[in-house]
Amino acid sequence: MNAVEVKNLSFKYKDTKEYVFKDVNFSVRPGETLAITGRSGSGKTTLCNCICGLVPRLYKGELRGEVLIFGENIKNLSIADTVTKIGVIFQNPSTQLFSPTIEDELAFGPENLCVDREEIGLRMNEILRIINMEDYRHDNPNNLSGGQQQLIAIASTLMLKPSILICDEIMSWIDDEGRAIIKDILLKLKKDGKTIIVVDHENENLDIADRIICIGD
Amino acid sequence: MINIDPRTKLIQVLILSTLALIYNEISILLIILFTAIIIGFINNVNFISIISRLKKLLKIIFMIALIQSLLTNMGNPLLKIGKLMVFTDYGIIKALEFILRMGIIIVSAAIITTSSSREIIQGLIQWKCPYEIAFMVSVAIRFLPIFKEEMTDMITAIQLRGIDLKKVKFDKKLQVYKYILTPITVNSVMKAKELAAAMEMRGFRAYPKRTSYMVLKMQTFDYILLGLNIGAAILFIILRGVL
Repeated sequence: MNAVEVKNLSFKYKDTKEYVFKDVNFSVRPGETLAITGRSGSGKTTLCNCICGLVPRLYKGELRGEVLIFGENIKNLSIADTVTKIGVIFQNPSTQLFSPTIEDELAFGPENLCVDREEIGLRMNEILRIINMEDYRHDNPNNLSGGQQQLIAIASTLMLKPSILICDEIMSWIDDEGRAIIKDILLKLKKDGKTIIVVDHENENLDIADRIICIGD
Repeated sequence: MINIDPRTKLIQVLILSTLALIYNEISILLIILFTAIIIGFINNVNFISIISRLKKLLKIIFMIALIQSLLTNMGNPLLKIGKLMVFTDYGIIKALEFILRMGIIIVSAAIITTSSSREIIQGLIQWKCPYEIAFMVSVAIRFLPIFKEEMTDMITAIQLRGIDLKKVKFDKKLQVYKYILTPITVNSVMKAKELAAAMEMRGFRAYPKRTSYMVLKMQTFDYILLGLNIGAAILFIILRGVL
């Protein structure tokens, strides 16, 4: 069974005439790293939002076709089921982090899913070790560099233990050093068997992918 | 360093601000302000940093107090120019009352800020306040500096196009701010949407209830402090009634 299957997917936003993309078809195998590329405005972010269910839950419009996550239609999954299957890291780290300390930021997701305190603590220790930021747990995310903020955004998503990780241009706001660290983390996750979808328009960020698809013209 | 529970701080602030509203006498307001400062020290408030950060606000408070005393005609005149009463004793007393009340509010706010917004939220949640409301307040506090930064960036961008806001007339300045308002509103809506997406993908409101990694527990010192504060406030009210 494929981890993600996109069948004849078309979408246009409410009050617009043009479709953002039409009849998109692809699938991602479990453990595979797929890169999606395309020029600016080709609908890469919208496609991510369709895969993770934010379309049509948050972003309204006309959606045709279907997205299957491990064989189940994303439309039929509850929020709790969705976030434990798919984690999304967005482009702008500053709007993804909203807590006064990193510890609170990491705990936010599991708290919403009613995970008990001990388990949250264990997950937090493990993930902070993976991203090598154990010493920052009581710091304010506002005081971190862009790369570190993006690492915390990745860690916050990983706290929910999703099987699929969608990275929507997560390296576009980061310097070369930060990119190298993030790529390293993604490679570690790939080795651990995570299914990863990397969206980027810069080819140099796609070298960790097993397969690349291009959307748009 | 003593770690005081945010709920203790909230109760202390509630008592101080209520007393400041009940009483009008200068001497009593002075006692309340003095008590607030002592409570501030117990809560590790850094008064020097607060004063330097609130310099502009303090200037405005003194200006308002001055205008208030100038506009009050009641009482005995202290300074008169012809038939015009510039300062009256009543006006000065009212201005002092205002300054003392504002001082109590500022010290109270400073006491609250010694806890992080997350701790205050947790305190409110453990008082059975709905999480969504407490969380909204926290997000608003978190994003205020970002909007301030955005506003500064927009003003800088306008100045880089050759408009010196300091030399522009008031009506033109208003027009410039009108132009800035549209992109700031659009950016705010976009940021709010991005934030909503991030929260949704972290399971916000997935279930009617949620657990909490942070749990606040009142210590013996908190109970002693609360007992002293409530006792002192009741005694103060009773004594004022008797005397």
